[in-house]
Amino acid sequence: MIKNLLLPLILALLAYGFWISPDFKGIAAGIAIFLFGMLFLEEGFKKFSGGVLENILQRSTDKLYKSVGFGVIATTIMQSSSLVSVLSISFLGAGLIGLAEGIGIIFGANLGTTTGAWLVAGFGLKVDIAAYAMPMLVFGIVFIFQKSKTLKGLGYILAGLGFLFLGIHYMKEGFEAFKENIDLASLSVGGLKGLLLFALVGIVATVVMQSSHATLVLIITALAAGQISYDNALALAIGANVGTTITAIIGAMSSNIEGKRLAGAHLIFNLVTGIIAIAFIHQLMIAVEYLSAFVGIQSDDYALKLAVFHTIFNTIGIVVMLPFIDNLVKFLERYVVSKEQSGEVSIARAHYLSDAVLEFPTTALSALYQESRALYEKSFEIISYGLNLKPKRVDSLADLDEVLKEEYSTTAVDMDLLYNTEVKGIYGEILDFATKAQGNFPAEHIEEVHKIKLANRALVEALKDTKHLQKNMQRYKNHKNGYIKSEYNKIRKNIAELLRDINTLMKTGEEDVIIVLLSKARIHAQKNDILSNGVLDDLIRNRLITNEMATSLMNDSTYAYNISKNLIEMAEILCIPQKSDSSNIDNQMIINEDDIKELLETKEQK
Amino acid sequence: MSVSGFIQSVKEYLSLKDFEKSSKKKSVKSLLKKLRTKRKELKKRLAITIEKKQKQALEEELEIVALQIKKGKNILHELDAKE
Repeated sequence: MIKNLLLPLILALLAYGFWISPDFKGIAAGIAIFLFGMLFLEEGFKKFSGGVLENILQRSTDKLYKSVGFGVIATTIMQSSSLVSVLSISFLGAGLIGLAEGIGIIFGANLGTTTGAWLVAGFGLKVDIAAYAMPMLVFGIVFIFQKSKTLKGLGYILAGLGFLFLGIHYMKEGFEAFKENIDLASLSVGGLKGLLLFALVGIVATVVMQSSHATLVLIITALAAGQISYDNALALAIGANVGTTITAIIGAMSSNIEGKRLAGAHLIFNLVTGIIAIAFIHQLMIAVEYLSAFVGIQSDDYALKLAVFHTIFNTIGIVVMLPFIDNLVKFLERYVVSKEQSGEVSIARAHYLSDAVLEFPTTALSALYQESRALYEKSFEIISYGLNLKPKRVDSLADLDEVLKEEYSTTAVDMDLLYNTEVKGIYGEILDFATKAQGNFPAEHIEEVHKIKLANRALVEALKDTKHLQKNMQRYKNHKNGYIKSEYNKIRKNIAELLRDINTLMKTGEEDVIIVLLSKARIHAQKNDILSNGVLDDLIRNRLITNEMATSLMNDSTYAYNISKNLIEMAEILCIPQKSDSSNIDNQMIINEDDIKELLETKEQK
Repeated sequence: MSVSGFIQSVKEYLSLKDFEKSSKKKSVKSLLKKLRTKRKELKKRLAITIEKKQKQALEEELEIVALQIKKGKNILHELDAKE
C-alpha cells in the first residue's frame, strides 16, 4: 500500500516544489543530471572491462598503499573527493576493483580533499569543474557515435563526467540562495554544545550544498569576518567532512550492492574521523598550533590553521582506520546486504514468456530461447558466487589465476536463497510455458521444445551441483595443505574457464567459433576429470592428502564433472538453434567421445 | 490423396529432396572454408607466440580445428556417396 503511494507522492511533491520555487527545480534537475551522469560513467567503465583501464586500475590499486595514493592524487587533480568517491563506486559497480581497494581510494580521497582547503585558505583558488562540463559533453557524445569500442567507452566516460559536473553545477546554483541566507554569526555558541551544534550545521550545509569545498569557503569567509569563533570553524570543518559523504550515497543509489557498501565505508570512515576529531579537539588544536608555528604560519592566520587542522584530522583518520580495513569489509558485507540476502525476498519472474504468443510457434520458440538464455545469465552469476568468484571478472579477458585470487566474499553466499529467488520461479514458468507449447505446437516443433526443457534442467542441475561443491571448496581453497588447495582451485579455474567460453558462445553467431568452443569444452571436461586422469590416485598413493580430503575431493570432482557436463549440454542446445539449416551439421561436427578418446590417447603417446 | 502424400509428390516434382541435400553440402562447404581460414590464422599466431601457456592453448585449438576439418570432409564424402 505504502509502496504504491510512494511514487505518486514523490511526483506530487516534486511538482509542488517546481511550482513554488525555481531554485528547487534547478536542484532537482541537478540531482537527476548527476544520476544520469553516473549511469553513463558506469557504462563507459564497463566498455573498458578486460582492457586498458582494468590494467591501469589494477596496477594502481593492487596494494592498499597504492589505492590510498590513487585516491590522494585523483582527488588533488579533480579537486572533489565526492567525485572520486562516486568514480570509485562506478569502478566497483563495473567490477573493476574490489571493496577493499575501493575503501583505500576513499581513504586517500579524504586526504586529497585537504589540498582543496589549502588552496581555498592559502590562495582563495578553486578549480571550477563546471567549466569543463560542456566541452566534455560535446566530445563525449561525438565519441559515443564512433564504431571503436575504446572511443565509445571514452565517450561515455567523458559524457558521464560532463553530466556529473553539470549536475553538481545546477545543484550549487540552486543552493546559492540558501548559502546567502545562512547567518553563522547568529549561531555562535561556545563549549561542547557549540562544537556539536556547529558540526551538525557543517553536515547540513554540506548536504545542502553538495560540496565540502563550498562549506569551507563559507567557514573561511565567516572566520575572516569574525562571524564565528575559531573553535566553531573547526567544528564546521568536521561536519563538512561528514556531510560530503552524501554525494557518494546518492551515487550509490544507482549502483549495485558493492557500490552501496563503499558508500557505507565512506560514511563510517568520515563519521569515525569526525568523532575522533571532536573527542580530541583540544589536543588537535595544540598540534595545529605547534605545526603552524613549525611551518611559519602566522598565529592570527586562522584560515591556514583551519587547513592544517583539516589535514591533521584526516591523516589521523587514515592512520586509525587503515589497520581495520578487513574488519570494515567484513562488517559491510554482513550488514549491507541485498534484498535477497536480507530475506526481503523478491522472486525473479520471466520476462519473455506470455501465453498470448503460444498461438505462434516460431515466436513462442524464440521467447523460450530468450528466457532460457536469460536464466543462464542469472545462473552464471550464481555459479560464480558459489565458486567465490566475481562474475564480471570471470567474464573478462583477465588471467584466470588472478581472477581466482580476487574472492567475491569472505563468507559463503547462500546458494539456496539465490536459487529460490533468482532461478526457481523462472524455471517453473519456463517448464509451464514449454509444456503448454508442446500441447499446442505442430509435431515438428515439439522435439525442439523438449530439448529446451532439457537445457533448462541441465542448467538447474549444474546450479545444484555447485551448491554441493561450495561447502568443501570454501574449506579447502585456502587450506594449508598445498595439494588439496591446488586441486580445489583447479576445479574453480576449470569451471570458470568453461563459463567464460559459454558466455562467448552465447554472444557469438559464428558457426566455427561455436563448434570449436563446444569441442574444446567437451575435451576439457574429460581431461580435467581427476577420477579418470589418475591425479586422485597419485595423491592418495603418495599420501599427499588425508583420507577425509580424498573422500571430499572424489565427491567434489564428480560434482565438478557433472557441472561441466550439464553446462555443455545446455550450451549445445541453446547456442545452436535446432531448426536452422546447419544445426544438424553443427551437431555432427562437434567432437564426440570417441574423438576425445583418440585425441587424449595421441597426446599421451606424444 | 492425403495431405502428406500431396506434399511428398510436390517435393518429388520440384526435386526438393536434392535441394535439401545440396543445401546441406553448401553448409558443410561454407563451414569447412571458415575452419580452414581459422587454421591458417592459428598457425600464424602459433609461429609468433612465445609464451608457453598461450602456445599450448593455440596448439590445442589447432588440433581441434584439424579434427573438425577431417570430420567435415567425411560428411561431405558421405553426402557425395549418397548421390
